[in-house]
Amino acid sequence: MKKILSAALVALLVLGVFSGCSVNSTVGGKTLTFWSMWSDGEPQAEVIKEAAAAYKEKTGIQVNIEFKGRDVNTLLSAALESGEKIDIIEDDYQRIAQIYGQYTADLTEMAKAANYKGYDCLNDQVIAWAGHLNSIVEQPQVGGVFYNKDAFAKAGITAEPKTWAEFLNACTKLKDAGYAPLALDAAYADFTFYHQLVRHLGEKKIEQLAMNGGWGRETGAVAAAQEIIDFVKAGNLADGAPDEYPSSQNKVGFGSAAMVVCANYVTAEVNNNCGVQLNWGLFNYPTVPGSDNTSAYAGANSLAITAYSELKQEAFDFIMLLTTGEFDQKMADKAAQIPADPANKAPAHLSGTVETLLAADAPMTWCAGINANSDLINSFKSEFVKLYEGKYESGEAFCAALDALYK
Amino acid sequence: MTKHRERINWKKEAKLLPGYLIVGIWVAFTAVMIGWIIGASLSTSREIFSGTVLDFETGLHWENYATAWNSQNVSVFFGNSLLYATVSGAGVLVISAPAAYVLSRWKFKGSRATRILLVISMSVPAIMIIMPLYTLAVQWGLKGRILLIVLYIMLRVPYTAIYLQDFFATLSRSYEEAAYLDGCSPIKTFWKIMLPLVQPAVITVTIFNFLSVWNEFFMALIFTTSADMTPVGVGLLQIINSMKYSGNYGGLFAAVMIVFLPTFLLYIFMSEKIISGVTGGGVKG
Amino acid sequence: MKKNKLLIFLFMLPCVLTLLVMYVYPVCRTVLMSLFRVESLTAGTSEWTFYGLSNYTTIISNNTFQMAMKNMLLIWVAGGVITLALAMVMAVVLTSGIRGAKFFRAAIYLPNIISAVALATMWVQYIFNYDYGLLNELLELFGLEGFKWLGSDSKFWAMTASFIFGSVGYYMLIYISGIEGIPKELYEASMLDGAGKITQFRTITMPLLKRIIKTSITFWSINATTFFLWSKMFSPIQTEESTVVPVIYLYDIVFGGKGIIQRDAGAGAAVGVVLTIVIVAIYGVMNLLVKDTDMEY
Repeated sequence: MKKILSAALVALLVLGVFSGCSVNSTVGGKTLTFWSMWSDGEPQAEVIKEAAAAYKEKTGIQVNIEFKGRDVNTLLSAALESGEKIDIIEDDYQRIAQIYGQYTADLTEMAKAANYKGYDCLNDQVIAWAGHLNSIVEQPQVGGVFYNKDAFAKAGITAEPKTWAEFLNACTKLKDAGYAPLALDAAYADFTFYHQLVRHLGEKKIEQLAMNGGWGRETGAVAAAQEIIDFVKAGNLADGAPDEYPSSQNKVGFGSAAMVVCANYVTAEVNNNCGVQLNWGLFNYPTVPGSDNTSAYAGANSLAITAYSELKQEAFDFIMLLTTGEFDQKMADKAAQIPADPANKAPAHLSGTVETLLAADAPMTWCAGINANSDLINSFKSEFVKLYEGKYESGEAFCAALDALYK
Repeated sequence: MTKHRERINWKKEAKLLPGYLIVGIWVAFTAVMIGWIIGASLSTSREIFSGTVLDFETGLHWENYATAWNSQNVSVFFGNSLLYATVSGAGVLVISAPAAYVLSRWKFKGSRATRILLVISMSVPAIMIIMPLYTLAVQWGLKGRILLIVLYIMLRVPYTAIYLQDFFATLSRSYEEAAYLDGCSPIKTFWKIMLPLVQPAVITVTIFNFLSVWNEFFMALIFTTSADMTPVGVGLLQIINSMKYSGNYGGLFAAVMIVFLPTFLLYIFMSEKIISGVTGGGVKG
Repeated sequence: MKKNKLLIFLFMLPCVLTLLVMYVYPVCRTVLMSLFRVESLTAGTSEWTFYGLSNYTTIISNNTFQMAMKNMLLIWVAGGVITLALAMVMAVVLTSGIRGAKFFRAAIYLPNIISAVALATMWVQYIFNYDYGLLNELLELFGLEGFKWLGSDSKFWAMTASFIFGSVGYYMLIYISGIEGIPKELYEASMLDGAGKITQFRTITMPLLKRIIKTSITFWSINATTFFLWSKMFSPIQTEESTVVPVIYLYDIVFGGKGIIQRDAGAGAAVGVVLTIVIVAIYGVMNLLVKDTDMEY
């Protein structure tokens, strides 16, 4: 018995040793290495695999895909620094532009040669951050207020609210019809309040405040907080909000809440979590009096090529195959997201998003203004959650609490 | 249950009632928790989020297990953890047992220092060693499963050596003397005679190493660079994070159950050994 | 028996090498690194610039680190008192001669062998859920309002409570073995003197368990300072102030957490050193307080 056991252990040991080094199996021929941000088994991963197979068929080039999952950002910096053999990386486009910028190739010429279009607002943003086009959009995202159209119809709301007053009015109607107006998970408290701040202050001003403090002296910041305090006091948040993700957003799916502030992926998440096909609509976060800011969140997960890759053109061709035409349409349909190729068609629950993106000029970032102060981001976030919990009596008190963080 | 037993001293039992209550509630709570996980693993996301897990309105969703096992990659995570736990369990013995034996038998230059070093190493927090190890791994190009196996072996050496040393110390020296007279070389004596004599301790400490490697998280999180070397703990976290997009929470809890099962089975059959291992190793540490 | 130098050398070599590679070298390098300005872990030593104690002042003046230390201290003190007290109660109950002690003992220890990732998922998604969670269902049963367990005020305590629940069994086992080691005659003698259970506990059990309690406090201290997984599980997507602990902070600044652009391995090393000093200090204080120093090794 013991002998068998030890023999088995030795066999396992040997197996382990060899399985550790059997990565590069292709002899001869070109191979591309692709570090993906998805986990194996997700719909995005399935489409990428299909595209890789099609690419191999066409060109004979093998694409080795390593699905790293969403923690890819904790691995990428070290891997790029040590010159790990990677040709294509995939991550949030802002991170690619700002953190991996120096390790990525300039794609401007290749994009021009391939007649690449994409969405101007996103590409311009990349160029503003990185100085040149260093990534190609794979999954565009738009944000705003996502809502259940049926709930709005039932409450007798005929037009999507444009201003804060119209928004409050819609909330009252929703309450009368038996809906909790706004669902909110604590994970998105910063994103939601960021809208209110941006409306009053704009992103540049927010970044200054985040770095140096002085929130209490800024009437816009005080007003934004006061509006939220009144909004919460009026009972406009869903029961339990700000809740633990994804409890609150699911309430839209279960029909007890009507709206949620998020990016477009919330629609697919809620549909899946609740097993429903909701009649989703999207409108831009309402404007506030005395300000003309109407920017909406737009962002993307994108693909980039390492600066030291020896197969840049081949890698670019694969990226084009994946992000345009047939495979992009497949990605949009299977993963329920906005197509990266504006010529493709968005899934039904995202109708209108392509047009929104094409029309957008200067997109809002995902809280970049407050994230600029990396020492305090966690503190900011927890103050924002408290704001929605109704812990503050007035906008002044809230801003004073923010200023107290700087000491 | 107790009604049918004979000779119950009701007075004594009544005195113990508060005690029964305390542990009873505690255990009932544990049971409810595990029961809910099992229920959730057989439900749809909708049922989980509407709080109707134990109603099974749409039947039992065994397919959650199939989904978790195949498309969520749990089979890979599971295989990896099994590999890490068994191989490092064997590897750590090969390194620790001889050292424990020598330390229990002879005093030599540095033997005291080594003993102290072993004890200190056991309480060094992982964060103190993990950064240089990471640098080394990157510099030497070490990656893949072999990296985690090596790390896990080295991680468990101090505990295992200390644990076994106590048991070797209890063995009489007459065994070696007899073996010596029979012309058995010291190395052979150790593997053929001494090590088998502490077999119970070896089994206990191996179970322990198995469990701790199986459930290890921090090292795995930092050193895992690809899906095909991910063990269960980190794999579960990845599944949880990707749930955000795919919304298959039933599959998530099925994955939780699959990960839980091997340790649970091991526990049912070996709980006495495990418990004696805690107290043996714990009190002396 | 003769000393066999070759045998000693051969048998000790792998173990000593392991200690050097796995513990001695890394600890030294981490301490050294904490005195240098090092941005990336993979940077060679030639890229290090001497920084004195600046890494330490950086982290000490950092808001998140302060919160993290505060949370850790709370876990250590409050969590420690509750865990060890509960474990003691369980141990006393299980050694008082109740039926099914073995079963209860195994069941209470059970959470220790379940992957903490699995346990924590269950706590977050079920026990503490606002709408259908176990705790709020129980409250409802008594006609009470549901409570937001994972709200920003209570999330830390929710996390600590679930951590305590998972830990009690381990310390209980340690105490049980200690209590079982106490000679029965002592109890019988005091019983004849008319001492009650509580007096017995105070006069016999506690003093004799001193050493074991010391051990358990040392263990708890290590667990509390290296607390990581539960925090990660209670805020899986992004670090939150209510649940942040030093190791999470370290992980974020060294490996790059969400929203953190500048990495700082030197400061990370400083965090590691601070935590180690805390552990050593606790260990020293415990040794001073409990003067039972029959070191076995």
